[in-house]
Amino acid sequence: MSNSRPTGSRLDRRTFLGDVVRGAGVVGLGGGAAALAAARGQRRELVWQIDPHACIACGNCATYCVLDESAVKCVHSYGMCGYCELCTGFFEAEPLALDTGAENQLCPTGAIIREFIEEPYYEYHIDESLCIGCGKCVKGCSAFGNASLYLQVIHDRCENCNECAIAVACPSEAFRRVPADRPYLLKHQDPDA
Amino acid sequence: MNKPANLPISTLLIGAVVAVAVVVAAVAVWAIRPHGELGSGLPGTFGYSVEEFTDVPAEWLRWREVSSIPVDLAQPRALAVGAEGTMYVAGDRAVLAFSPDGGVLERIELDAEPRRLAIAGEDHARPGRMYVVFDRHVEVYQPDGTREASWPAFDERAALTGIALGGDDVFLADAGRRVVLRCDLDGNVVGEIGRRDEQRGIFGFVIPSPYFDVALGADGLLRVVNPGRHRIEYYTADGYFEQPLTWGRPGVAIDGFCGCCNPASIALLPDGRTVTSEKGIPRVKVYTEQGDLQSVVAGPADLAPDAAALVETRTDYRLRPPMVAADSGGRVLVLDAALGAVRVFEEME
Ligand code: SF4
Ligand code: SF4
Ligand code: SF4
Repeated sequence: MSNSRPTGSRLDRRTFLGDVVRGAGVVGLGGGAAALAAARGQRRELVWQIDPHACIACGNCATYCVLDESAVKCVHSYGMCGYCELCTGFFEAEPLALDTGAENQLCPTGAIIREFIEEPYYEYHIDESLCIGCGKCVKGCSAFGNASLYLQVIHDRCENCNECAIAVACPSEAFRRVPADRPYLLKHQDPDA
Repeated sequence: MNKPANLPISTLLIGAVVAVAVVVAAVAVWAIRPHGELGSGLPGTFGYSVEEFTDVPAEWLRWREVSSIPVDLAQPRALAVGAEGTMYVAGDRAVLAFSPDGGVLERIELDAEPRRLAIAGEDHARPGRMYVVFDRHVEVYQPDGTREASWPAFDERAALTGIALGGDDVFLADAGRRVVLRCDLDGNVVGEIGRRDEQRGIFGFVIPSPYFDVALGADGLLRVVNPGRHRIEYYTADGYFEQPLTWGRPGVAIDGFCGCCNPASIALLPDGRTVTSEKGIPRVKVYTEQGDLQSVVAGPADLAPDAAALVETRTDYRLRPPMVAADSGGRVLVLDAALGAVRVFEEME
């Protein structure tokens, strides 16, 4: 097992969007939000972000943010995704059927959209308006899949508190201060993952 | 003694307010839990415990570990077994050869990082030859460690992840192009196996992650893992899909293959049974030729005793799936990268 831990690379929002928000029908993370984030970025030197390689998806991101609805959301690295029919971030461990029945879905809020591409490939999108950042899908995808789902602080939501309440509560010290013009930490693909 | 009635009413009120404030502050500190050590407070439906899937019913555990051979490689990746039980492990741009008792026989330096390894047996046209598989090409070594040939690199989309030998053939599992290449002894591609062809009833390999293995049975049929479909498919060397022989099902239960894609590695025992190794929930199992689970060689408790490795999402906690091989004596060899050892298991009576 490798001892070296890859650190998420810093990306500006455009690159981030290009990587994680590819494909039609993705809700949220739109262009207007990008402009807002960019404007905020000019005013701030550093913003909070989660190092996805340090995060253990403990659930605290859903409840410790000062906002009623957490600024942390699940994002998807499409480049790492296997487009699996049996997505272990989408489905319960032993689904009754590989369909979108609520009883088969892992996400408690139904925030993951499953879209048929071609037999047997499916694309998975996060409906940001429904995601509360609980990380349940992140665990499923990491434990059994390609770990393409992960959590990030979404900067058109985040208030950039001086002391991020989640960072204080994070058991994994996964929160970092990153430059505002490169506010996302993208996962690299582990060649053996 | 002072009588309370002597205190001014304002002092009493201030005292009461301070007391209430202290209680409220204490409750607030408890409720806010500034270091999160009491958990997220989310209801159970938001939790996901993988650990509950790691138990292996005792009746399946019918193998015992008879030796563990330390491997001095930071990233051991491939395992093969040759004649007289010589073991070969590849990684860190080298191949190490071990005697059955664990002594290092030789170290062959390589120019690149190896991915897989195969040692030709008596059923191959060149017994003793060692084939080292890299990302896009193959190198051939003589039994004394001399490099005999380096085959030209395949297409840049190639990602070689498995190898099987037999007769005049070298079969290479190419995860990048989702096909098994049939090569001659000089590395010329003479056929392709498993490319999607619905007219021939071949629906193609689904390979979400770079684990795609192949093995050749004594019956001349290739066992090819179709990891995204969680099954083992059988093909003739000419590429005919023997669909009725297919077996395997998805599932975290002990008889299934867990996660999005598994098994990660396979090997064949001399009696035809198949040894499988899974990622996600690390477990090495043995299936009959009909595809029924027969026994478990090693489960998560053996292969990942630190249970955190199974539940953490951190990449530095992730386990590389154990590679498996089987020797002529029916022993199962497991390359345990986390432990840095080849672990040898024998079936119990
Ligand atoms: S499981 Fe949790 S983190 Fe994942 S999409 Fe649903 S709400 Fe968001
Ligand atoms: S900085 Fe504030 S708003 Fe942003 S994630 Fe942390 S607690 Fe939430
Ligand atoms: S609190 Fe830390 S470990 Fe927990 S989900 Fe958030 S970033 Fe990950």
